[in-house]
Amino acid sequence: MSIDISNLTVTYGAEDVISGLSLAIPEGSFFTLLGPSGCGKTTLLRTIAGFVKASGGSIRFSGRDVTKLPPHRRDIGMVFQDYALFPDKTVFQNVAYGLHARGERGESVARKVGEALERVGLGHLGSRHPAALSGGQRQRVALARAMVIKPQVLLMDEPLSNLDAKLRIQIRETITELQREANITTVFVTHDQEEALSMSNLIGVMNRGAVEQLGTPQEIYARPRTGYVADFVGAANRLPVRLRPAKAPLVEASLGDVAILATDAMAAPAPEGLLILRPEDLKISAAPQEALQSMPATVRGRQYLGSKTSYRLDLGEALQVVAELHGPGHDGFAPGDRVSLGIDSALARVIAA
Amino acid sequence: MSADSIRSPWFWLTALALALLALFVLYPLLSIIGGSFSGEGPSGWAQLVSTSKYREAVLNTLILASSVTVICTLIGVPLAYVTARYSFRGKALIALLPLITLVIPEVIAAQTWLMMLGNNGLITKFLREFGIRLPSFYGWFGLITSMSFIYYTYVYIGTVAAIGKFDVQLEEAAQSLGTPPGRARMKVMLPVILPAILASALLVFTMTVGNFAISIILSHGLPLLSVSTYQAAVSEGTTSITMQSTLASVSVLIVMSVLFLNRWIVSRGRYEIVQGRGARPVPLEGLRGLMVAAPAGLVVAISLLPLVTIALGAFTKARGPVMQWGSWTFENLERVFVTAPGPLLNSLLYAGIATFISIAFSAVVSYLVVKKPNVLTTWVDYISAVPLALSGTVLGVGLLAAFNGGWLPLTGTSAIIVMAYVVRRMPFGMRNAQATLHNIPNSIEEASISLGSPPVRTFFRVVLPIMLPAVASATILTWTTTVAELSASILVYSGGRETLPIQIFRLIDSGLMAYASAYGLVLVAVILIPVILANRLFGIDVFSSK
Repeated sequence: MSIDISNLTVTYGAEDVISGLSLAIPEGSFFTLLGPSGCGKTTLLRTIAGFVKASGGSIRFSGRDVTKLPPHRRDIGMVFQDYALFPDKTVFQNVAYGLHARGERGESVARKVGEALERVGLGHLGSRHPAALSGGQRQRVALARAMVIKPQVLLMDEPLSNLDAKLRIQIRETITELQREANITTVFVTHDQEEALSMSNLIGVMNRGAVEQLGTPQEIYARPRTGYVADFVGAANRLPVRLRPAKAPLVEASLGDVAILATDAMAAPAPEGLLILRPEDLKISAAPQEALQSMPATVRGRQYLGSKTSYRLDLGEALQVVAELHGPGHDGFAPGDRVSLGIDSALARVIAA
Repeated sequence: MSADSIRSPWFWLTALALALLALFVLYPLLSIIGGSFSGEGPSGWAQLVSTSKYREAVLNTLILASSVTVICTLIGVPLAYVTARYSFRGKALIALLPLITLVIPEVIAAQTWLMMLGNNGLITKFLREFGIRLPSFYGWFGLITSMSFIYYTYVYIGTVAAIGKFDVQLEEAAQSLGTPPGRARMKVMLPVILPAILASALLVFTMTVGNFAISIILSHGLPLLSVSTYQAAVSEGTTSITMQSTLASVSVLIVMSVLFLNRWIVSRGRYEIVQGRGARPVPLEGLRGLMVAAPAGLVVAISLLPLVTIALGAFTKARGPVMQWGSWTFENLERVFVTAPGPLLNSLLYAGIATFISIAFSAVVSYLVVKKPNVLTTWVDYISAVPLALSGTVLGVGLLAAFNGGWLPLTGTSAIIVMAYVVRRMPFGMRNAQATLHNIPNSIEEASISLGSPPVRTFFRVVLPIMLPAVASATILTWTTTVAELSASILVYSGGRETLPIQIFRLIDSGLMAYASAYGLVLVAVILIPVILANRLFGIDVFSSK
């Protein structure tokens, strides 16, 4: 089941929350809507589910227009942020609920529910009530309940945000495995970039009701097209630069009185741009390194983070960047040290300002 | 409004609810206001100003309400403070307080006070033997005493809740800044809990203004608003309703202005306690414990007195109005169950139907207001709160004015008694159901819908089962207050349709205290048995929703 959204507009009161959004989600993909709170990602998900009415445009599931269809007839499975388990029903009854709503009875219900619970590792807890489950177990019940009806589309609204860090990583794997096995087209909403990068095969980064960039996790991370995407997915130093042409695919970027060569990622040539430098792509050394372009810098602050150390560097003229060092001796510099900052022109990208 | 919302079943359900509320709440209210300007001769308002009896009734009611409010606050707040902050022997007994107010109908409370302190009361006669003459219990003394010992529990409950929510760390912060403990409490806690105290005090004020049962039994010649309204309704009948409507309007105006004052206080005093750590009660032992426990115990004992009195009275022989204390009989109870069981059966029937209607209406309408808001739900919400401003007497007058003849002649039927019960108690059911629904996240319903269950079926399959425990406790609470209802039903009932409270009132009026006690004991049992059963069988704590 593919999902085609064209020219979708959603209005709350007098305000357009989403205006003229178009998006194609291919069949069987794990599609993530990534963005900060208030960007419209949950509204878009709820519009796909049918809980929010579109005021313009259309939503099609494999060509069939569902824009006017009420949610209970869209054949969706939905996993909610707070799980929304029915508190008065047992785990078994929760999972069986959707099958009963579809008129299924008796033996086949028991078998399907049993399989679904087994699949998420809760086969032995069918008779419990949700209140007697841990957060991770509730999450699994919610997942089983949404999957057991074999929906055309699986919708998930920040399903992992109420779990602790370790559990979150476990359940991420459960979700992606289940999704791949059943090959259900899935729309997953999150504000957590790590979740988005690790689980999806397609990500739409949302900003103010629009999809700012659509691409695979690798594209989104390595080749952000806007400063917003670069900053939201991973961390990025964003420096305004003046540009002069150089040998393609490079461009010369001037930062105050130093100039470096960087990869040109702009749609059209312009006199000014934004230089994107990922902290982990920057190198710090006591003396300039041969293979890299170097510029002098002073260490202003540092945070020791165990596996890495994050340094705040002055490049002069109120220009600061953050660089991260990994590997042995990553905490070897101290505030006040004069160092050389090394930049690889293949990893430094210039985008439109 | 979009065309979608008009097409939904929820919209039409809301419209139906609004129509019912308009018919049974707004129409009676408007009939009262209209009635005060109707009739031949001078308007009701002109008579109100020119007749000294009516002027006195208004003035006396305000004086009575103010005194009762002050005394209730003086009893309720200290009692709440010591139970919230200290532990001492017998404290568990004080936790019974809300139960006591609930199970003792006002008419019985008034009756038992008379049996103790009336002209032929036990205590009066006992003291007379020692040459001590108490002032007559009829009039100010009796009214203020008996009302205060019932209504202080509202102040107590409101204040205990407020102190429970208070964050002790604020007090500790004040102490850390150099304020001694006692002053810290006064300066930090008092301002935070003051709005709650004022709100419960104003509730007492409005309840005193609307009080009928105690007023009519104990006022004896002292003009009071509710009694005058009742008497005007009885003497005017339903052909000319000028004076009863005018007096009822005055009561509505007084209660409305107090409710607005209350809203204003609550809106000003909304202090958010961000994080809370409740206080751990400090144990009081020895003499200090006794000094707290003794007065607290005395208050509780006096509150319990009516129960003991009617239990004794129900089995005591009587010749006419003269109680023969010490000689026992089953004759009084035989009358309740065998000779004249009508009031018991009527009460069970009317209150049962009214409770069912009231709870079903509250559940559905609250669902519309909380979960399916549309243009009409705001009005439904407002109008369903209007009965809070109508005392029972006012409502009775209104129902008589609205449904006497015309296209919907309900006067003289059982339906009008049921209607009076439903309208009086429905706002409490609404408040309870709305609070419950606010605690059910929307995602629960959406989960059901996303699994393929249509919205209406989702309500019955998912929402209603979750609401059920709260609905059950609201049902019992509604039952207990409906069975005890007197002030509206006594105006609208007709011969043969007497309920237990009406019968008790009539027996007290004739001075037949032994029979009244027997009916009273049965009434208390009818109230108490469902409360106990619910608690024992289903673990429902009726007071958790309070």
